[in-house]
This record gives sequence, C-alpha cells and structure tokens, in this order.
Amino acid sequence: MIELKDLEVRYGKRKVLQGINLTLKRGESLSIVGESGGGKTTLGLSIIGLVEGTVKGEILFDGKNLVALAEKELKAIRWNRIAMVFQNVENALNPLYTVLDQVSEPIVAHKLGDRKEATKRAGELLSMVDLPEGRFYAYPHQLSGGEKQRVLIAMALANDPDLIILDEPTTALDALTKVEIINLMHTVCNERELTILLLTHDFYAASTLSDKMAVLYAGRIVEFGPTPALLSNPRHPYTRGLLRCYPSMTTTKDLQGIKGRMEFFDDGCPFHPRCTQSLEKCREGAPRLEEYDGRLIACHRGGIIPLLELRDLSKSFDSLNAVDSIDITLYEGETLALVGESGSGKTTTAKLIMGIFEATEGRICLEGKQIHGRDKSFYQRVQMIFQNPMEAVSHRFSVREAVREPLDIQKQCDREQRESIVRHILEEVELPSSEAFMNKYPHQLSQGEAQRVSIARALVLNPKLLIADEPTSALDASTQAKVVKLLLNLQEERGIGMFFITHNLALARKISDRIAVMLRGHIVEEGPSNEIIRNPLHPYTKDLLKAAPTLNSNVPLVPKHTSKKKEGFGCPYANRCDKALEVCFNEKPQLRHFGSHRVACVHA
Amino acid sequence: MKIPEIGTYVISFLIILALIFLLPRLMPGDPLTAICGDEVLVEMTPALKAELMHRFALDAPLWKQFFVYLTAMMHGDFGYSYYYNAPVLEVIFEALPWTLLLVGSSLVLSTVVSIIIGIESGWRRGKISDKFMLTTTMILNGFPNFFIGIILLLLFAVYLGCLPLQGAKTPYSGLSGINSMLDIARHLVLPLIALTLAQIPSSYLLMRNTMITTLKEPFVRTAKAKGLSEVAVRYKHAGRNAMLPIVTTTGVRVGIVVTGALFIEIIFSYPGVGLLSYNALLMRDYPILQGVFFIVAVFVILANFVVDLLYTKIDPRIGVDNAEYAH
Repeated sequence: MIELKDLEVRYGKRKVLQGINLTLKRGESLSIVGESGGGKTTLGLSIIGLVEGTVKGEILFDGKNLVALAEKELKAIRWNRIAMVFQNVENALNPLYTVLDQVSEPIVAHKLGDRKEATKRAGELLSMVDLPEGRFYAYPHQLSGGEKQRVLIAMALANDPDLIILDEPTTALDALTKVEIINLMHTVCNERELTILLLTHDFYAASTLSDKMAVLYAGRIVEFGPTPALLSNPRHPYTRGLLRCYPSMTTTKDLQGIKGRMEFFDDGCPFHPRCTQSLEKCREGAPRLEEYDGRLIACHRGGIIPLLELRDLSKSFDSLNAVDSIDITLYEGETLALVGESGSGKTTTAKLIMGIFEATEGRICLEGKQIHGRDKSFYQRVQMIFQNPMEAVSHRFSVREAVREPLDIQKQCDREQRESIVRHILEEVELPSSEAFMNKYPHQLSQGEAQRVSIARALVLNPKLLIADEPTSALDASTQAKVVKLLLNLQEERGIGMFFITHNLALARKISDRIAVMLRGHIVEEGPSNEIIRNPLHPYTKDLLKAAPTLNSNVPLVPKHTSKKKEGFGCPYANRCDKALEVCFNEKPQLRHFGSHRVACVHA
Repeated sequence: MKIPEIGTYVISFLIILALIFLLPRLMPGDPLTAICGDEVLVEMTPALKAELMHRFALDAPLWKQFFVYLTAMMHGDFGYSYYYNAPVLEVIFEALPWTLLLVGSSLVLSTVVSIIIGIESGWRRGKISDKFMLTTTMILNGFPNFFIGIILLLLFAVYLGCLPLQGAKTPYSGLSGINSMLDIARHLVLPLIALTLAQIPSSYLLMRNTMITTLKEPFVRTAKAKGLSEVAVRYKHAGRNAMLPIVTTTGVRVGIVVTGALFIEIIFSYPGVGLLSYNALLMRDYPILQGVFFIVAVFVILANFVVDLLYTKIDPRIGVDNAEYAH
C-alpha cells in the first residue's frame, strides 16, 4: 500500500530524516516510536505532502510516487486516501468554527456531497465516535481534551480514507480517556480495515494499536520488528533506554533515563554519544539496518552486546556440586540479579567469574571472548564489591589510598592525574573529595560511606562489569536506598553491567532487568524481572515471592519440608515442594523455555 | 454584555468629561482676548473686563464652573459660540456629517485593504511580492498624513486638475439626486485616500504579523491536510483567525483616524469637525472646542462599545453563551 524508499527530509542543511525504508501493506499497522524531535511528525507530514523541508527519495502510494506528484493531485489524495488524526494540541481544530462544520468541511471540499449530505454524514461520524449530539454545534474551546480528540478522529474518517496516520493521538489525555480513545481507534480501524501508521512516544498506544514497530532516533530507524518482540526484548540500546524511561505496570525496575540529549549527525551512528557501548567505529560510519534474528537493527555492534556469558559453568568441592552447570547471559548496561538462599552457590559463582576459584567445567566469556587467564586488563574490566565494606577496605588504607590502589596497580597515569581521578570518582559516588575526608580511615566512616568508598574503588578503573555480592545487605534501609540509586545512576551513565547477588527478591525486582533464581547450585528459573515477579513458574520462586517483604501485615506461609524422602539426583526443591512427584526425586528437570522465561520444573 | 463592562464605559466617559472641561482652561491666553481681539487689552478698562468675566462666570471657582457645565450639558446645552454666533450643538451638527462620512469610509476602507494585503503578504512571507508590499508601506509610514494630503492635492487637483481642490461639494451648483451624490463623492476622493493611506501601514503590519503567527497554528496544517483549496486555507482558516486583533484595535483606531481627519480636513478645507475645531482653536472658542471634544470622545467610546459587541460575534471564545457548554 505504501512504501518509503530512501526517504530523506532536510530543513536547510539539517537532515531531519534519512535513509528511511518502510513498507506497509493494506490492513497492517505500524507504529513509529521515539522521543519528540526525532522526526516522527516530519515522517507523517512528508507522506501527506505537507513537510516544509526538501524531500528526497520516494514515497510510493499504490505505486504513485507522492514526492513527485503535483500539488493538485496531492490534494485529491489528501483526506480521500490518506487522512491524519492530529494530536489534540492547543489548536488542532480551528477555534472559530463548530466541530460539525469542521468534520463536514472535507466532504464538501472534495465534492463528495453537498452541504446537507456532508452535515448528515458528519453527524453520523460524530455519533460513531460517541460525541453527545448536544455538542455537535459546539466550538472546540467548549469541548474537553478527549472530546476534541474524538472530533479529530471523526474528521479523519470523513472521506473514508485507506491509510490513516495517527500523530500522538493519546499524548495529552488522562488515563481513562486515553483508554477510551485507544479502544475507539482500535474498533474503528478494525471495522474499516484501515492501514495504520501510528506516530507516538507512548508505548501503551503502540502496543495496542500496532503489529509492527519501528524505533526512530534522530531521523533514522534504529530498530524494526514485531511490536510484542520489541517491547519484551529490545535489542537496540536506544529502544531499551526508551522502555526504561516509560513507567508502566509491567516493568518493575526503577525508572532510568538515557544520558545526554538528542543530536543529529550526518556521519556515524546518531546514538553514539548517548550509547554506553559505543566504539570508535560508531563515530565514523552510520550503521545500516541489518537483520539479526528476525529483527532489523542499525547498530555497529549488532544491538546490545552480551557482556558476560556463563556457559555450563560448574564447580565442585569434592563431592559437593556448589555450582552445577549454570548458563546465564548478562547484557551490557543491564542488571542480572542472582537470587537464592544462603548456600545456593551465588557467591561461588561470583568467585568463579573473578577467578578466585577455578571452574571445574564450562566457560566464561567476557564481551564474547572466552576468559582463559586473568591478567591486569581483565580486572580493569571486571570489578567486585562486597557485602561488608568495613572488611572489604583495608583498615590500614586511608580513603585516598584505598580508592587509588587499583590505579597504582594498573600503573595508570602519573601521580597528579591519579589524584584528580580519585577526587572525581569520589564526587561521582556522592562523597566529599576534601583533603580531610580523603585522609580518613575506614573505621572513621559510616557504613554507607564505607560502601561508597568501596564502590569508588571498584569504579575507579571504569569497569564494564561490576559484580556486587550482597552489596547492601549489611546496610540499613535508608543507606541501602541511596547506594542502590547510586548504582542505577552509574549504570545509566556508564552502561555498567551488574551481576547483583542478593537474597532479597523485593530489592532485585527494583534494580534488575533479569532475575535468575538459584538453588543448590542450579538455576531453577530465569527471565525478565517483571515476568518472574508477575508470573513465577517454579515453586521455589513462588515461595520466595511469598516470603518477600510486603507491608500488608499478613503472616506469610512459610514453605515447609513436605517430604522425608532422601535427596537424590532429582529436582533440588523436590523435598520442599508440595507438588513433588516421584519423578522429581529421580530425575533432574531441564531448563526449558516458556515465552521469555526459562524454568526447570516438570510442572511448568 | 455584562454590567462591569458597561461600568468601565461610564467611568471613562466621566473622566473624559472632566478632561474636556479642564483642558481649555489650561491653555495660554484668555477667552476675552479671543472674543474681542487683541486690542481689547489696551482699550478695555479693568472694570469692564471684570464685568465681562463675571457675566461669563469666568471668575467663579472651578468646581462651580464644572457643576454649571454638567447641568447645562444634561439639558443639551453645550453653550454658545461667540464666534459663530450660534449654539454650539448647531454648529457642530452642521460639520459632523462630513467628518462621519470621511472618518467612517476611511476606517472601513483602510481596514478592508489592510486585511487583504496583510493576508496576502503574510501568506507569501519572504517572497518578492511580500517584500514589495512591506517596503512600500514602510515608506508610506514615514510620511505624515498631511504630507500625503499635500502631495495628492498638488498632483491631482493642481497639476492634473481632475479632482476638486477643496470643500465637500461644489457651492451653489444646484445639483440634486444622483448628481449631487457624485459631486460629494468626487470631493471625498482625495481626503479619503490621504487619510486611508496614512492608516494602512500600521494595520497592515499588524495584520501581516498575526497572519504569519496564525499560519504556524496547528489548525492551518489540519486544513491543508484535509486537502482544502488554497483560498479556503488562506481566508477561511488562517485569515479569519488572523483578523481578530485588527478588529479589537478598531476602537483605538477610531481615535487615531479622527485625529488624522483634523489635519486632512484643514488641508482640503473639508467642512468637517476637524476644520471646525481648528478654527475654534485659533479663535479660542472654548464652547466649540469642548463640544467637539465631547462629541469625538462619545464617538470613540461608542465605537469601542460596538467593537466589543461585534467581537463576541466573530470570536466564539469570547461571549456569554460559554456557560451553556461548560462542564
């Protein structure tokens, strides 16, 4: 139905859109999402031929190139074939005419009926969008925002178009009105089999109204794919950033922003200044939109890279399998919470990564490369913070010495530079960088301060991966909150991948993108945090969730040992599980995929 | 129209009355000199002078004079002109129709012309025709209206001789009916053009400016997207919205046009209120001056009132019937 080929729009020398290639078949719905100023509206207006800049490339509508069409022919297509529902901003409707007038106007203007017929048809349309009849002769200022949006929808349908462009149709509306409008558009578009192009920054509208989604950043499409897939598993750093900024009832992690602000670049990836995984090459050539497992992504690194991969990793101490063939991937800039009770092998896993223990089996990959030996450059990229900061920082070191030590070991920079780096990192972790503070010793610091010092020490080398072993469990609640916020901010700024070990599911939910539940050396369930919290599949996860702190004063049901059977080679939870079957004791369940989940349970 | 708004009209009317009363008394010279000529000062004995002052109540305290002035006015007595030897109101009403004709037609003409060239110019912003119109009006704006009047007078009445030199109609011509109207129209042309040309630049600039801002409004984009004709977008959607400020300022412009008419009438010896007040000023004919000021002020207030009433008709956002739809 409509095909954009190499579309480029410029205002003067500034390219607002470039290299846009999209195809939309009849009856399909596509949403274009992105921050305001990214070129969404320009894209919509260029299709309807109202963009004020210079347009290059082709817009094929039923085979006709709209870019090359004469104004007269364009006028015949506007509203008859392609209509637009504008955002209900201040004055999308003319303040001087009644809404009935404005809805009937295009019918008369395109000679589809005389004034009387047009008025009748406009009345029908307004009734269809549920505008009360008493309001037909109202002027726009007499209507509420939702009513105006309804009028704009009715107006777009006046000439029975084939393609409808929805430009931020829900942005200015309150929650209930928004749902009503989305429902209305959904019904109307389905009934009339309209082709939809939705321009929005509202993921909710996009998720309900579109099958496909394209993410637009600074005039380029950075990711394109089926809407549900993009929403549940964003692969471009920008898409992930946008989703992290969007408050919804499905996400559990605290809101995070995207650092920096949007700028337009002719060369290089437009997102590189804000991207936390950008390389030198990202600055040079613009990435092309390429296919990576069923998804189109424009990224030199092929989307968000896997930072840490544990593959079949095992560690046994004599006969005890402390870590039993675990398989986990941590992506750049994300937090993976490893949750489980004491003795489940969480800390052992951390130590395996750090090289404190040697793995019995399996491999560890960092940024795609398998780790063999650990030299200084490894520790420059991977750092760790510990549970008890007082013990983790040598009591013989002053704050300055403790934070500077990694730099001394790595022999980076000269003395003066090291000093300024130390001051800078202290400020970044929200500690004073005064002489007096830097000369303090750990025992002179509060718990929170000491943990910040240990975070500063870990971050001074600018690592990509931070392994945090219960970093807040020794802190009181208010200090914990501050440290957690600090870590999330640092993640937003530097794109640190965090391997966060905790037994606190309530905390994991707020800070992690994915949760892996560990039990007796096994990963029993793994998936996106919101999925794990909303829809836990493994009995152990369910019990952990029941045991997680709530404020509703119900006495929690503590899972009991329900079986006296001997622990065998079966499921690690078998003798505590009230649904355990014979097979659970004899056979170890495999991790299987359920949607975006992986669960090891025969019942799942 | 709501009560408080009428209240503001009453208040401004009272302030104007007080000013009209005070202003001539603040001017240099005294009315006696004006009535009897400069030689009076030499010939008139102080006793006679005092007697006359007393007879005209010019020695009474100011508040008393004001009180007398107000009561007289309520009886429709605007005083007696010593110079014309006739009641003030009679003199003024003889001149008033000519001024109304001149000011009224100039107001309408300048508004219509400004709106149209403002819309066209704003639509073509930055193009040659826009720049041409802008430059022309800016140059025009540099000339005072009497200068434009003199140039027109010299060109059309003196050199070309195609239009009459002065007056509002040919004296003693005995014309009647359609011919009389044509004669009046011929006399009106030059003063009307001079007065109108002087008005156009400011209203044109306002119109062009609001047109440019209105064109950026989202509803203009909506209108274009609907595939409407260019004329409909330009006039029905953008133009009508851009007109609103021009209409609002009409009330203010009435005052400016009347002032402009004062000079124009003098140049063209057009027998209107302007010429009348000019002569009255030379003669220090206080009653005439006060009467003229009063009538002009009343007209300006009335014009503002009418504009306010009219505005609710052209802008539905201002008006009383909003309550009907209020949520």
